[in-house]
Amino acid sequence: MLEEQVYIADAGIATALYLSMALGKPLLIEGPAGVGKTEIAKALANALRTKLIRLQCYEGLDATTTLYEWNYPKQLLHLKLEESSTASEAEKEAMIFSEAFLLKRPLLQAITEHDRAPVLLIDEIDRSDEEFEAFLLEVLSDYQVTIPEIGAIRATHRPHVVLTSNRSRDLSDALRRRCLYHWIDYPSMEKELEIVRAKVPGIVEAVSSQLTRVMQATRTMSLSKIPGVAETLDWANALVALQAPGLNEQIVTETLGCFLKDESDIAAFKAELPRIIDARCITEQERSD
Amino acid sequence: MPELDVEKLIVFCRELREHNLSVTPSEVVTAATALQMIDTIDREEVFISLRTVLTTSVDDFPIFEELFKRYWNSSPHTPVQRDTVSKTALRSKRTSSRQPPKGLEFFLKHWGTFSADAQPVKVPGASDTESAAKKDFSEFTNEELEEVSRLARRMVRRLARKPSRRWRPVRRGHRVNLRRSLRLSLKTGGELVDLTYKERRPKRTKLVVICDVSGSMDIYSRLLLQFVYGLQNSFAKVESFVFATSLVRITGDLKNKTYQRALDRLSANVHGWSGGTRIGASLAMFNDQWLRRIDKRTVVIILSDGWDTGEPEKLAAALSLLKRRAGRLIWLNPLLGSESYEPLTRGMQAALPFVHLFAPAHDLASLRALEPHLVL
Repeated sequence: MLEEQVYIADAGIATALYLSMALGKPLLIEGPAGVGKTEIAKALANALRTKLIRLQCYEGLDATTTLYEWNYPKQLLHLKLEESSTASEAEKEAMIFSEAFLLKRPLLQAITEHDRAPVLLIDEIDRSDEEFEAFLLEVLSDYQVTIPEIGAIRATHRPHVVLTSNRSRDLSDALRRRCLYHWIDYPSMEKELEIVRAKVPGIVEAVSSQLTRVMQATRTMSLSKIPGVAETLDWANALVALQAPGLNEQIVTETLGCFLKDESDIAAFKAELPRIIDARCITEQERSD
Repeated sequence: MPELDVEKLIVFCRELREHNLSVTPSEVVTAATALQMIDTIDREEVFISLRTVLTTSVDDFPIFEELFKRYWNSSPHTPVQRDTVSKTALRSKRTSSRQPPKGLEFFLKHWGTFSADAQPVKVPGASDTESAAKKDFSEFTNEELEEVSRLARRMVRRLARKPSRRWRPVRRGHRVNLRRSLRLSLKTGGELVDLTYKERRPKRTKLVVICDVSGSMDIYSRLLLQFVYGLQNSFAKVESFVFATSLVRITGDLKNKTYQRALDRLSANVHGWSGGTRIGASLAMFNDQWLRRIDKRTVVIILSDGWDTGEPEKLAAALSLLKRRAGRLIWLNPLLGSESYEPLTRGMQAALPFVHLFAPAHDLASLRALEPHLVL
């Protein structure tokens, strides 16, 4: 199913997603940056032919940015128009605090989706603060939102919820317990190669395998920011754009900004570059023999 | 699913629980349900499914894997492994991509950042003279002691002023609170007459200080208590405790009294003052009674030299529990100030993996360097 969405899934991800849907529980995905955690949700939404609703978390996220907000300009205009009407105060109040004046934010949107259950992606939950986590628990436990002026709004379809985290802080046990859990690591050589070939169709076969090998070697170095799959793809796209026939020291040096984003990492990588290229060439020769 | 499997699952879950995985009955039910939805003949699939349901963190993976192997292999009811080509291929691919215990890797990674943090931070621009700032607490006079609590009060005032990202309604401010204003406007027929405002709520960081007052800390503990006393009297949300062989809460004792009176009261109340140390037991006691008060907005500071006569395992267990609840766990060790000191005592060794920051606390400069770490 995921295969056709150009997402190379392994048995672990597939099983976790399947269980999450079958059991109706949110799926918490953790792993280092850039291994495709967010992509999972996108691929899932595509595969289910449903809408993806994304909530990017940050510190200080609160109800007005995640659930709903009243549309104040519209309310004001409406009150102006109604000035001459004979409607009582209570009637006016009921009017402007009705659903027509409600701006739906991601969580409410996900709950009130009419056609089919959407995929709700709560991205980088570790960046939000504790209050938001508690609040999210409430929403995720009964898929119901209470707006004081309107009342409770129940989910028409239970959204498929995917949460991602980079482990920048520990999530609460309560939230973890409510979710199924899956960990994604950097892909193996074969898997990464598969991903590159699927996602960057224009790439020369030799380049793709050379590049994956360099990436795998890079990840074994002690860098402050280890490049993820996203970086591999950026680099692959750059090499395609440059129409590089193969990798050599010069081309790698020119394009290494695609996957190394830290000054000291670049220096460390450059020092190792001859060795990496060398090792790669040897294996290349072995292959051609 | 055959009944036998449920029994086995329950025993397996109990075993997981004994290894500190948070497996509640509700997880067991979920796991049983999950097993009904998958192909239980396929061991790999059972493994992944149960792992997805029963673990909550990648740190649990190694222990889970080990127990899983033990449980689902040893039994005579081992499901027959299906050896179709694709499955075997899949399995070998998985094992090749899976690296040695993730938990260890994480442990090492944390260890790395931690030791970088633990380098004593040099702070320029100290208001008092260099010599006083660098002077070891063990050589302090009474007037200099006063400086310690002044420093504490200053630090706390600065911390309390940091705004959070959240709003609260106020009468006068710079930002209009539209929601409230509109509601008010209904009274005047929809005309906005009275505006209400909102402002950023101040950050509410809570502080918990647990101070070692055993014999080995004698020179420092009175002084660090002075620091705690300073914190206590300028910031409402400070809880303070002292321990030697057992834990005593001293929050009330320190409040609104002169330091000498507070100290007198303390000496009367605290048994084992300047006696032996049982850090692990004392922290376990803290966890029993006070852990519920700790949340991610709490900074926990432990002041101790790590000389522990109890078992290191107990200390490690107590700290790991505390670290999971607290926003930050800081261990201040006065001995770290001396160049030659290395945290080799058994207690300190056990504690290191579980603290966010390990820092010195032997002079004014080191206390001042603490400030940025108190902001969450």
